[in-house]
Amino acid sequence: MNASSNTFPDAPRQRGRLLDARLHLLDRQMLDDRGVPVGIVDDLELSADAFGDIATGARSPRVTGLVSGHVVATRILGGQPPPSRLQTIPWRLVAAIGTVVRLRQTDMSFDALWVEHWLRDHVVARIPGGRHAAK
Amino acid sequence: MQLSELLGCTVRDTGSRAVGTVVDVRLSITGDLDDSPSAPTLFGLVVSPRTRSSYLGYERSEANRPMVLAAWLRWRHRGTFLAMWDDIGAVEPPVVRLRPGFHRYSAILRTD
Repeated sequence: MNASSNTFPDAPRQRGRLLDARLHLLDRQMLDDRGVPVGIVDDLELSADAFGDIATGARSPRVTGLVSGHVVATRILGGQPPPSRLQTIPWRLVAAIGTVVRLRQTDMSFDALWVEHWLRDHVVARIPGGRHAAK
Repeated sequence: MQLSELLGCTVRDTGSRAVGTVVDVRLSITGDLDDSPSAPTLFGLVVSPRTRSSYLGYERSEANRPMVLAAWLRWRHRGTFLAMWDDIGAVEPPVVRLRPGFHRYSAILRTD
C-alpha cells in the first residue's frame, strides 16, 4: 500500500464485518428467492437519526431498506427521482449479500423492472430470435 | 433519508475548513452475509481530500494489481481517511461537520 495513503492509524476494531456501501451494495443486482432478477440496488434507506445535529454518543444510524427504481435519468441529469418512482425493500427481506443481493420469499411485488419488461415484450420479442435464449 | 444524500457531501472541520468529500459510507454488519445478515449500521465516512469519486476500491483495499493502475489511483486518492460516526457532529447535506478533535483513521478496508 502506498505510504501516502496509509499514514493514518487503523480504526478501533468493531464486532462484525465492515463493508463499503458504494463498493459492496450499490448497483448490485437483486434476485428474488427463485433467482429471478427484480432490480438493482440504487440506494439505501437510512433510519431517521442519520441527519441533522448528532448528539455525542448517539447510536449509529441503521440501514432500514434497499431502494430500487428508475434513476437513470437523474444520474445523468442530476437531481433526485420522485419517491413514486422508487421502491423501498425492507432489510428484513435480505437473505444474502454477495456479488448479488438475494431476497427472501415475499408477497411483495417488484415493479422496478416494468420498463425492461415492456421493452422485452414489445421490442425485443419482435426481433428475430428475441423470444428465446441464445444457443 | 437516503444514503446517496451523504455521498458527495463536503466535509468541514469545526473551523469550517473543507477537509474533503464523502466518497463512500462504511457500514458494520453482524451475522453471516450468506444467511440473513443483520441490518448494517453506519460505521463511518470515507473522506477523500482530492477527489469526489470512488476508484474501484483501490484507494482503500490492499489490492495492488495491475500495478500501474493501482499506483495511479492510490496517488490520486492520497490522504483519504475514515471519519468514524462518533466524530460526526452534524449531517446537513451538502455539508457534513466533524466534531472538534476528530480523528483520521486509515481508510483501508480490512477483511481479516
